[in-house]
Amino acid sequence: MSKPAMQLVKLKKTIGKKPIIKGLDFEIQAGEVFGFLGPNGAGKTTTIRMMVGLIDITEGDVLIEGKSIKTDFKNAIQHVGAIVENPEMYPFLSGWKNLQQYARMVDGVTEARMNEVVSLVGLGNAIHEKAGRYSLGMRQRLGIAQALLHRPSILILDEPTNGLDPSGIREIRKYIRNLAEKENVAVIVSSHLLSEIELMCDRIGIIKNGELVAIENVQSVETEESLQEVYIEVEPLAPAKTYLETQLANKIGVTAKELSMSVKREEIPAILKKLVEQGISIYGVRVLQATLEDKFFDLIGENTIE
Amino acid sequence: MSNFVNLIWNEQIKLYAQKSTWVMFIAILAIAIGGGLLTKFMGEEADFKEYGDNWRTELQEENAQLLADMEADEFLQFANPQIIAENNYHLENNLKPRPYDGWEYVLENSFLSSLISLFTIVVAAGIISNEFKWGTIKLLLIRPISRTKILFSKYVSVLIFALTLLLFLLVTSWIVGAILFGLNGLNPSIVQQQVAGFAQTGVIGEIVEGYGLSLVTLVMMATFAFMISAIFRSSGMAIGLAIFLMMAGNAIVAFLAQYEWSKYILFANTNLKQYMDGGMPLNENMTLTFSVVVLVVYFIVFLGAAWTAFTKRDIAGQ
Repeated sequence: MSKPAMQLVKLKKTIGKKPIIKGLDFEIQAGEVFGFLGPNGAGKTTTIRMMVGLIDITEGDVLIEGKSIKTDFKNAIQHVGAIVENPEMYPFLSGWKNLQQYARMVDGVTEARMNEVVSLVGLGNAIHEKAGRYSLGMRQRLGIAQALLHRPSILILDEPTNGLDPSGIREIRKYIRNLAEKENVAVIVSSHLLSEIELMCDRIGIIKNGELVAIENVQSVETEESLQEVYIEVEPLAPAKTYLETQLANKIGVTAKELSMSVKREEIPAILKKLVEQGISIYGVRVLQATLEDKFFDLIGENTIE
Repeated sequence: MSNFVNLIWNEQIKLYAQKSTWVMFIAILAIAIGGGLLTKFMGEEADFKEYGDNWRTELQEENAQLLADMEADEFLQFANPQIIAENNYHLENNLKPRPYDGWEYVLENSFLSSLISLFTIVVAAGIISNEFKWGTIKLLLIRPISRTKILFSKYVSVLIFALTLLLFLLVTSWIVGAILFGLNGLNPSIVQQQVAGFAQTGVIGEIVEGYGLSLVTLVMMATFAFMISAIFRSSGMAIGLAIFLMMAGNAIVAFLAQYEWSKYILFANTNLKQYMDGGMPLNENMTLTFSVVVLVVYFIVFLGAAWTAFTKRDIAGQ
């Protein structure tokens, strides 16, 4: 693999004597959407704040395009666009003037680029209204606009879908995928909502109590060799159950019209074939995917804050 | 360097986009106009008196009248001798008294510099802490610009704001004064009472001295408020402390004057006028150089503390 866009090296944060982040060690590649998932209080925001140099790193380092945020702040941070927690703006300035503030702080952001970013996030004419009158969703869009202004190679978005309506969430998801796939940007998205992150990320890092408990590829969960819950609607019900019990070691459950069982994915065709051979009519088959959510809860367990 | 200018530009835009800033300018304008009207219509008639060619006789008659009034009314014994002395100074030095004019109005308004100090404190107190209050500090500090540069762009912006206000006060006072009272030339001399007696000076010099000296307190208190704002990230505390100290400063010095170390107190040194026009310093060991050194030390400590707090501490919790 090529050089990672961002690399966390044994990253630790201690406040007072209390360890908040206990050694995070992972990499994010260019063109990848990385989900940073964990319950509230797990240390997501603290980690993000260390990534962008807002708080001191107690131990370890964050390397951005190979540059240390600790020792080479300017050269590291110039590759980063970020929203940290809520996208707060100057309420008395228009959206456009808010963007101008940030445009003036880096070299080479032209008015054309500003217009491009504004249309990308779909703010349209609202850009000339005062940011104080914006809804949370509009502020979120403006936040993304300021993060993209200087064409960063790493985009960090803390809870980016907060306050957006479903269509807004879909749009943001589309931009994020687009940025990663077309512009090769590494995107880090934090969230405590798995359902959201699952839809836009390639990989998900799960953090709990300041520790990374797992890194999952989103696709891999679905193809895994784990047991899946299969529901088969059959007629007649009772003989089918009795027959399957003789064929399978598994426990067979019965609902109103369906038989339920936990089997591996590859076993399903064989089971159906056997049922057909026995002259049992099959009206439908449902497979309940072992979702990432189950995995998430397995890993996180109870959400305890130490 | 160019991005330092951009940072200052950014700060100025934020400042003037807030209504409270404009309220400050309007207040100064209102006071300049109101004060002018008050002086014009409620002021002492004698101040506006135009003297003719035989002004010597007029002054002598005036003095005789003042003396007579003093005998009739004991109360006037406090005020009249001063007017008589001033008239005598004009007679002895062959200076024709001139009526009150716009320049003198500008000079008188130098007392409003304490209002400017107040406004500057409010701005200095808010310029850092408001970024925390708005939450925008997080977006400000994730740019490829060092925190030191951002801090100093804010400090310089405060000073630019103070100078802008001061200039605004000067110009509005001058225009109001010129309209209401006229001007006695480009740099008329005025007669002023000083410690050693009456003296004649150019009015522009007096204005520069009056406003210039007020800058010392202004800059020191603004820097103090700026430091508190950077350390505590709260504008209320910074405004409160700075204004309290500005108001109570002289009382604190007077209260502690019996101790030798009181000369090291900031407020014992902010009034540099004590060394001018034959004035007496608070403490006989104090010199102008001493005060300037004390001021510079305070200044460095204030800015150093602000810098340490701003650059070293975590930006968390907002």
